[in-house]
Amino acid sequence: MPAIVVEGLERTFDEVLAVRGVDLEVAEGEIFGFLGPNGAGKTTTVRMLTTLLLPTGGRATVAGHDVVKEARSVRASIGVALQEAALDPLMTGRELIRLQATLQGLPGAEGRRRADDLLDRVDLAEAADRRVGTYSGGMQRRLDLAAALVHEPRVLFLDEPTTGLDPVSRKTIWEEVRTLNDEGTTVFLTTQYLEEADQLADNVAIIDRGNIVAEGTPESLKAQIGHPHIQLQLAEGSVAEAEEVCSGIGRLLPPTDAKTILVEVENGAGDIARVVRALDDAGIAVESLELVKPTLDDVFVAKTGHHLPKDEEPEAESEQVEA
Amino acid sequence: METAATLPGWRANLATIAALMARAKNELLRVPGAAIPGVLAPTIFFLGLNGVFGALTQLKGFTTGAYESFIVPVSMLQGAGFTGAAAGVNLARDIEQGWTDRLLVSPAPRWVLLAGAVLAASARALIPATFVLVIALLLGAGWPGIGGLLIAYFMVAAMAAVAACWGSSLALRFKSQSAAPLMQAGMMALILTTTAYAPLLLLQPWMRSVAKVNPVTDVIEAARQGFVGGVSWAETWPGVVALLGLLVVLGAWALREMRRTAA
Amino acid sequence: MSELAVNMRVVRALGMRSIRQTFRRPQLMAPIVVFPTLLLAIQTGGAGGAINLPGFPPVHSFLQFMVAGAMMQSLMLAGNSGGIALAVDIEMGFTDRLFSAPIPRYTIVLGRLAGTAALGFFAALWFLAIALIFGATIHSGVAGALIAIALVTATAMAVGGIGAAIALRTGSASVVQGLFPLVLVVLFLSSAFFPNELMIQPAKAIAEYNPLSFVVEGVRGPIISGIDANELLDAVLAILGIVVLGLALSARALRHRLRVG
Repeated sequence: MPAIVVEGLERTFDEVLAVRGVDLEVAEGEIFGFLGPNGAGKTTTVRMLTTLLLPTGGRATVAGHDVVKEARSVRASIGVALQEAALDPLMTGRELIRLQATLQGLPGAEGRRRADDLLDRVDLAEAADRRVGTYSGGMQRRLDLAAALVHEPRVLFLDEPTTGLDPVSRKTIWEEVRTLNDEGTTVFLTTQYLEEADQLADNVAIIDRGNIVAEGTPESLKAQIGHPHIQLQLAEGSVAEAEEVCSGIGRLLPPTDAKTILVEVENGAGDIARVVRALDDAGIAVESLELVKPTLDDVFVAKTGHHLPKDEEPEAESEQVEA
Repeated sequence: METAATLPGWRANLATIAALMARAKNELLRVPGAAIPGVLAPTIFFLGLNGVFGALTQLKGFTTGAYESFIVPVSMLQGAGFTGAAAGVNLARDIEQGWTDRLLVSPAPRWVLLAGAVLAASARALIPATFVLVIALLLGAGWPGIGGLLIAYFMVAAMAAVAACWGSSLALRFKSQSAAPLMQAGMMALILTTTAYAPLLLLQPWMRSVAKVNPVTDVIEAARQGFVGGVSWAETWPGVVALLGLLVVLGAWALREMRRTAA
Repeated sequence: MSELAVNMRVVRALGMRSIRQTFRRPQLMAPIVVFPTLLLAIQTGGAGGAINLPGFPPVHSFLQFMVAGAMMQSLMLAGNSGGIALAVDIEMGFTDRLFSAPIPRYTIVLGRLAGTAALGFFAALWFLAIALIFGATIHSGVAGALIAIALVTATAMAVGGIGAAIALRTGSASVVQGLFPLVLVVLFLSSAFFPNELMIQPAKAIAEYNPLSFVVEGVRGPIISGIDANELLDAVLAILGIVVLGLALSARALRHRLRVG
């Protein structure tokens, strides 16, 4: 049975159609990525699937229960970590997870045991008895994630779980998501970061302005757009000659400048060695070579005509580049 | 994959209510000075009204010679109204900050979530009530006796629950702390358009008409009886009925608003 | 243009901003008008029999007596509100913009007080209208009304100075807001709501010397009995006293604010 089934889901606010007839299916045990820019309808969709918002059209089932008619059963089956970490700054981390356990109906002793285990798991055991208001952003997200897991939910909803986090914290969250999925939890993940969807998701749906514009595995979506290409610059030798050599391996693409050669290849990294060997045999030296793969942003641009926002670069790294 | 085993319904509900009440007490214990406004406001009103209007007892027809005895139950109930309305403000803050989503996404029934906030307000209201009572007794208010005291405290706790339902309804409707003045003003109007300042026959005609239909008049008279005379069931039951009626109406409204948050 | 004229232009500009801010936020204005009106209605309805007490000043109605007290409550809340607005400016960094401009510091405070004075003016008009609508009379007619409006507006500005001083000293809107109970205390310890002679000790003793009592009597006199020069003089002197206190506190607080940044 699929973990999530969505048919023609719609949501109107006053006269604005924020979600316009979304259809999707999430298999049990998969990580499903819901990718789109700010304002696309991701959070609205998640709020409908987690029963926080009533749809104005269509239907959806989560863990086999209708989100409108069997809302309580849905809530008993899901864990949710929303975009704004819903935490109480006056509570300690341990108190918060124990409260969550109580809200989920877990017996007291079981709730306490689960709280301790989860705090260990998300590396918050030392900070567990400090107030949440003293936690960093990354710690708060980890606590929010732990709270969502206290009752071992069948389906876990993560709404932009790494927005605003530094790269290290982001990677920690990614690892935790993978581990959860390995243990059998279905994960519905919304994100505006293509790398996150690319890295984590088994299947991705791309949403823009309330509509699903593309759906499939990350690889199949990128393959729809095209193959990777090799971008190379010569140290010495004739460009025309190099182009003739490369055209025997892949399809030449229009160059961006007089010294750059672009050749589309079917086998990705496997063709790099072929290109280098062929050019070497022809006595042509390569100064630089790069395999450029299509990204989900390319998919997004192809479907919508505009780009997804880029991941934020840490300030220190860009300073080094400038130096 | 199966979710973890859970308690039977009623036990889970009780545990949730207790946990939410425990959370509510953090506001008092972990925020320095948080208890002060709730205690200060009714105390200031008591001292102020007593100092300003105390001479009203000289009017023919006033039911007692000691204004502090007359007014202390009003101040205790004002404290209840203030505390309950503050619960509404806290809920509005929780909604604004996303905390309420955590509660709404859990399988706990909506009435359980509401009961946690309302019962916490009831318990909390006993603090300013006790403070005002002690001040009043020091100033010479009559000792109400155990019966009168218990009745007064019951009225305070129930009034706080009524106020919390009112405040919560507004919080859930407007989803904003800017509704706070409406929460406070509503309770102030409800509690003071009664025999708060003077006996019924000494009120101005328009106020007398309002006080006659205002259910909180019976609540005040029930809370007041021990302080100005003896207690009787005849003086008590109208106040109990009034509070139950208000709880049913405002509780139903609050529950409806809570269920409509997803709309 | 002379320096004074230039500075007055600055005061006018900041004053207009302050007035616009004040009247564009109904949710902040409402408590300043709604609460005192509610209390006025409740107290006249509940304690209106007081006019039958021996020694109560001769009035047509308790409303006629209480109007001045309601105006006082409103202007005190306006002063508190002005302090909150200034504290918000400090928290948001807007005052830094003003401090770094080539303008005298006093124009910043004076501009803020213009908003408070506007609220006081509005409050005076509002309660006079309420009084007339609900059957109270103004004994000294138009002259009495004008005196009441002038005194209330001036007092609002004076009290606003104290609110501004607290805002400058603390830089925190929530601290200024937390002083609201003090407003009630000061009012209860004055003759705002009841004749001083009929109050109960120790409130009575404190009210006798409370400067606000002199202001209230100055506002109330023309409404209930007539214009009394001595009463007016006492009111004006009391207002001046509050102004001086406000100025002194504001000047100190301003120096502190400029020091700490």
